[in-house]
Amino acid sequence: MTERPDATSSPPIPPGPPAQEPPRVVAEVADPPAAPTVTTHPLSFTGQAGEYFRIWILNLALTVVTLGLFLPWARVRQRQYFYGHTWLDGQNFEYTASPLALLRGYLIVGAFFLTYTLATNLQFQGWEIVAGVIGLLFVVLYPWLVMKSLRFLAVSTTHRGLRFRHHGRAGGAYTAYGLANIAAGVSGGLALPWAWFMQRRYQVENTAYGSARAKFRGDVGDFYVIGLTGLAVAIGGGLLLAVPVIGVLVGLGFLENFNVDGDVTTAGVIAGIAALYVALLALYGIAWQYVRAATLRYVLNRIEVGGVVRTAATFSPWRLVWIGVTNTVAQVLTLGLATPWAAIRRTRYIASGVQVRAIHSLDSFAADVTPDENALGEAATELLDINLGF
Amino acid sequence: MTHPAAPPLTLSGVYFDGRTSRDRAATLEVSGDTLVLRAEGGLEARWPTGQVSIDPPIPGIRRVLKFQGGARFETADDAGVSALEARLGRNRGLGRVRRLEARWGTALGAVALMILFAWGFVAFGLPALARTAAKATPRSVLATFDRETVELLEGQDYVGPSRLSAARQAQLQRVFRRVTSRVGGGYPYRLLLRDGDAPDAPFALGANAFALPGGTVVMTDQLVRLSRDDRELAGVLAHEAGHVTHRHTLAGVYQGLGLSLLTVAVTGDLISAGTFAAAVPAALLRNGYSRVAETESDDLAGRHLLREYGTTKPLRDLLARLETEDRGADENDVQEGSRVEDLLQTHPGTAQRIRHLREMEEQAKAR
Repeated sequence: MTERPDATSSPPIPPGPPAQEPPRVVAEVADPPAAPTVTTHPLSFTGQAGEYFRIWILNLALTVVTLGLFLPWARVRQRQYFYGHTWLDGQNFEYTASPLALLRGYLIVGAFFLTYTLATNLQFQGWEIVAGVIGLLFVVLYPWLVMKSLRFLAVSTTHRGLRFRHHGRAGGAYTAYGLANIAAGVSGGLALPWAWFMQRRYQVENTAYGSARAKFRGDVGDFYVIGLTGLAVAIGGGLLLAVPVIGVLVGLGFLENFNVDGDVTTAGVIAGIAALYVALLALYGIAWQYVRAATLRYVLNRIEVGGVVRTAATFSPWRLVWIGVTNTVAQVLTLGLATPWAAIRRTRYIASGVQVRAIHSLDSFAADVTPDENALGEAATELLDINLGF
Repeated sequence: MTHPAAPPLTLSGVYFDGRTSRDRAATLEVSGDTLVLRAEGGLEARWPTGQVSIDPPIPGIRRVLKFQGGARFETADDAGVSALEARLGRNRGLGRVRRLEARWGTALGAVALMILFAWGFVAFGLPALARTAAKATPRSVLATFDRETVELLEGQDYVGPSRLSAARQAQLQRVFRRVTSRVGGGYPYRLLLRDGDAPDAPFALGANAFALPGGTVVMTDQLVRLSRDDRELAGVLAHEAGHVTHRHTLAGVYQGLGLSLLTVAVTGDLISAGTFAAAVPAALLRNGYSRVAETESDDLAGRHLLREYGTTKPLRDLLARLETEDRGADENDVQEGSRVEDLLQTHPGTAQRIRHLREMEEQAKAR
């Protein structure tokens, strides 16, 4: 067992696989040499937009012609592409989930989802009961599904022949994803950064690479700083946008004879209000993307694995927001065809700003042998859009 | 040594034993039914080919061969592994997928297929599914729709109580009963006369009539006042009965539901902002009845008017007055739009509907 004091105040280390992934880990080291030297391994991503576009569109087409049955294979191939093109110290990552396991999960979750949608939309006799039971089931099971999802995602990630693991338990999940979210809700958002902190800590602290456990060295206060920055962006930007527009409208007196119908000025006012509405939506999106990017960077800078490896992130959250915004614009303008390009672009930028620093060779980790996970949780998070953070 | 035809195959790559993260340079030799692995540090291992599992190929990524106990061999020699796969008959399906993925031709074909499919589904598949579902919906469900909608209309003050005299209302109810007994198809009809210009309404309905799925027809005072005689209103009411018997409203609801489900499914792959873009066509398509639905209802109304009065002129005139909002207007006041304009409309233009009704009358006379 080596708990080494980090003499070097050097940045931390481990990795970050593709965008939303659990951290990597390290192993036990036998005898600590006297002066640890820190080696920095940059993460690199070698995916190509053109190549990925062909995979993406073909898998989409196959999914459509098989009426969705190919979906798990398509998802697995797309993820394998991203993992496989992420390199650390000369070795790439691997996504190993079985499409058949995912298919089972999709079918179960999809059946519930469809029943719920039909019940709430058609309101056939007894629909309240059906929708209520499904809704309640979801609320009650949500933290458990998150836990299953994290466990499955971790165990499906391999590097250097060793799997990641997530040792999270239901108790922790119900605290981080149940209690914390309820607290965030009843406090009107005041406890939200605390909830983020609890969730990130739950994700990181339970992650292991082989038999080496990860540690999270973050602090709640920093999450509040990130949250407040996001809030300031939203409010400040909103004022900047709304004040001049409303000023102009009031100044010209358009608001008073708003009810005059059919004339050009009314159309102009409606267009102006619509534009303002879209701008405010976009602003909200920007603030939220900032929070995600800043959190990702913060967390990556505070992970330590097995006492010998740390991750560090040097990418800029604002640059990531810019990439997110321009990606969205490109996707909307191309009716989604730019999606593969956008995904590659984002992943490449993140990977180029992540490093792993180790005071031991990365080949000294050992495996962990525990039973496998099932895929139900992950299918639920994909279909129901549960946000795992990052 | 059982396949004399298959020459020995040697792959070079990296070996991991599955117990540590240590990488070892290694070679894998395939001869006959045996795999021989030689790795750095003098390690040598053998497996029968039946026990190895080969991961399906992903473009640009090293191939992985997995052995029991978590050991694995990774190699950049894609050609070599493909040859081995062919020899062992592994990954046939996904190997084919990989070959398709490698070509721009198939990618473009896939793009075209997706566009065609999306268009076909939204234009034909979804409406057809919605119509089928609407026809299959039991009548008891329809009554629920009506009740909820009327509650909403009245609860939110979209409509106010009718200002027509009791005598006039009773007369209109008689017209309605006569129409529905002829063309109503046995639904539990109910006519609600309401003020379409209620003071607290979020927006004015104006001269309007619409049918709910279960047979409730709402007609506003403004429409009654716009008409010059009850034959015109009979035409409108027959038209609304057509929406009921063909279940157009319900089909519209299902179509909207299908579109939103589809939107979720499609944008699940995009980011949330994409949802916004996709919501626009959904809203456009959801608005009002389709051309087909209007025409079907006009057919029913036209047949009713021809049978009762021998002409479709009352409905034509009322349509013209609705279009021009001019109480003195008649069918000749409505101009035909350009062809391009017509093509872009999901809703038939008034001019087109008037012409259709006139043609019905001419055909009836020619017979």
